[in-house]
Amino acid sequence: MALGGVGGSLYGEAMDAGIDVAGVKRSFGAVHAVQQVTFTALPGRVTGLVGPNGSGKTTLMLMLASLLRPDEGEMRIGGIDPVSDPAGARRLLGWMPDSLGAWPSLTSREVLVATAQLYDLSREDARARADHLLELVDLGALAASPARVLSRGQKQRLALARALVHGPRVLLLDEPASGLDPQARIALRVLLRRLAGEGRTILISSHVLSELEEVVDDAVFMVDGRTVGTDRVAAAATRVRVWRVRVAADLARSTESVRGDIAAALGRTAEEVRVDRRDVLVPFSDEAAAVAGLRSLVSAGLPIVEFAPAVGDLEHAFLDLRAEASPPTPDLPDGPAGPRDASPPGSWAPPAAHPVTDADRTDDGSTS
Amino acid sequence: MNLHRLRTIIGIELRQRVRSVGWYVLLGIFAVILVALLSLSFAAFSLTTGGSEWFFSLVILLVLLLTLLVSPTLSGSAVNGDRDAATLAPVQVTLVTTSEIVIGKFLAAWISGLAFLVVALPFLVVATLAGELNPGAIVTSLLILIIEVGVVAAIGVGLSAVIARPIFSVASTYLLVAALTVGTLIAFGLGGAALRTQTTTISRDVDWNAVPLGCDLSSPSTSPNCPSYDELPCVESSYVSEQPRFDRVWWILAANPFVILADATPPTYENGNPTDLFSQIAAGVRSAQLSPEETTSYDGCTLSRGLNVDDYPSTEERIAGTTPSWFVGLFFQLLLAGGLLAWGISRTKTPAKRLPPGTRIA
Repeated sequence: MALGGVGGSLYGEAMDAGIDVAGVKRSFGAVHAVQQVTFTALPGRVTGLVGPNGSGKTTLMLMLASLLRPDEGEMRIGGIDPVSDPAGARRLLGWMPDSLGAWPSLTSREVLVATAQLYDLSREDARARADHLLELVDLGALAASPARVLSRGQKQRLALARALVHGPRVLLLDEPASGLDPQARIALRVLLRRLAGEGRTILISSHVLSELEEVVDDAVFMVDGRTVGTDRVAAAATRVRVWRVRVAADLARSTESVRGDIAAALGRTAEEVRVDRRDVLVPFSDEAAAVAGLRSLVSAGLPIVEFAPAVGDLEHAFLDLRAEASPPTPDLPDGPAGPRDASPPGSWAPPAAHPVTDADRTDDGSTS
Repeated sequence: MNLHRLRTIIGIELRQRVRSVGWYVLLGIFAVILVALLSLSFAAFSLTTGGSEWFFSLVILLVLLLTLLVSPTLSGSAVNGDRDAATLAPVQVTLVTTSEIVIGKFLAAWISGLAFLVVALPFLVVATLAGELNPGAIVTSLLILIIEVGVVAAIGVGLSAVIARPIFSVASTYLLVAALTVGTLIAFGLGGAALRTQTTTISRDVDWNAVPLGCDLSSPSTSPNCPSYDELPCVESSYVSEQPRFDRVWWILAANPFVILADATPPTYENGNPTDLFSQIAAGVRSAQLSPEETTSYDGCTLSRGLNVDDYPSTEERIAGTTPSWFVGLFFQLLLAGGLLAWGISRTKTPAKRLPPGTRIA
């Protein structure tokens, strides 16, 4: 992906425009899609919107994009209320929907030119802008192909280019990484970091938590249409967490005996640690305990080559919040769980270490 | 209303249409039907001399019929089709306003409908020349055709913004067009017949009973006692009947596109009688404005003796005092089209308060 300048706002305003949402609600008949959402996304930072399918992420995005009116609550995009002044908010924001929605038989270039013209760019400026953005998202070779025949990943990149067409200060990206190949994901990450570095506010929703983890500065968790308070997120992050321990491969020894060694070195029973393919999974109550554990393992002379959380920070917090939101049904996390071999909650953790049954959980179960 | 953005919306719409094969197939079928129609008409009307004006007006009416049949497909899924394809929301988040989107789509549908008139134009010209009609007829009928295509386009786009599913909005557009063409005719007929008034007809006739027995008026050599035909007395009789009141429902028919076309075209009369189909239809609709007289009298007695007291007025004379109905009908149609567009705009406004059931916004 060629990296040229993305260009500043076309409308000459200062860059510091954040997102403020307070107490927003929206129902569709009996379905309460968004029940209570409050958060702030700061300029210059990438904020991740994390939540299971049906938690109201897309509805929230639509309200922020000035397409849907909230039933209650206040929203501000760079200080502008998208409900009372949609045109003002639309100058500031770029929205990338979860599907491209391409006009039949318009080429990628024409899609961008037409969109730029709808943002009041002159025909010449719109053309120059389209060519620049096509290069930026590496679609230059497909500029003359109908947008409808692009692959999923190419459509995602075109949709991103379309969201950037007027140099928005606030970006709302709904699942931007889905369908992208690894190279395009890396390029997207670099691009998002650079856009944030220019002072833009980026709100990004994704199911691929490991992917999100590498790009976001802040995270907003949504469960059942509600944002989860930061205190609860912090609490979730400090709760029992499973660490992956890998011992240097030794064909002479089975993983079972390694498991016994590790349990012995940590002073635990073999039932408390579990085997996951070549690795051993050990629960620790917090980071200090993990440090102490690693020290004992090394002191015991075990050839440790890897010692890391089994799931990323976001994923850990997400799965934990989800598990407490719906204790009776340990349903599968939505979407691919990322490359870290994370399994659905309950499938790999030993009963004693499961967050739901753990004794040191602190929160009272209330939702904000 | 920003012209640059409006042009962009129209451009997006038209570019898609111009690049789709189906569009050319539709235009081709339209042309083939017109060729068939024209050649058949030439063959049929070559039987008789004259009457080619009737043929020309028939061709124009059929062009109107075909465009009315084609237009709903061009506009009936403009807004909800985009919503289904997820192309509406990305346009709505730009600076373009809802009015610009809906009106842009309406203008694009209108322009596409005019392409059918362009295809039909050579046939109209041939028909005019063959029919030796006055050029005013083709100019006015073309203008009315252009407006009618626009009215159907507005109805289609408006309904597509109000109704969630494209098939239902296309079907509703067809139903509304049917209501304007066939429905007005039925409502006019039934409405007129339902509102009846009593009228009395007084007729004066020769009193045949006054002929004495033995006299035969048909034979010239009868006895001198027998009276001649002219000497026979006259008797008056009256009977009561019920007459439909079309004068109370004529405005329903005024909204019919065919009536508008016929009535707006300058009429031609020969010896007080219409010489083409337009004038015939117009005369029929105009005379429907005349209320039936409470009493009509018929003096058969005087008439049969060759003493013409009162000439029957010709069609041209009878409708001389009536109002042209075409702009009443056109006004109604424009009101309907504009109202549906306005309703469509209000239903497509963002940020949306409520969504049509079953729609996805993105």
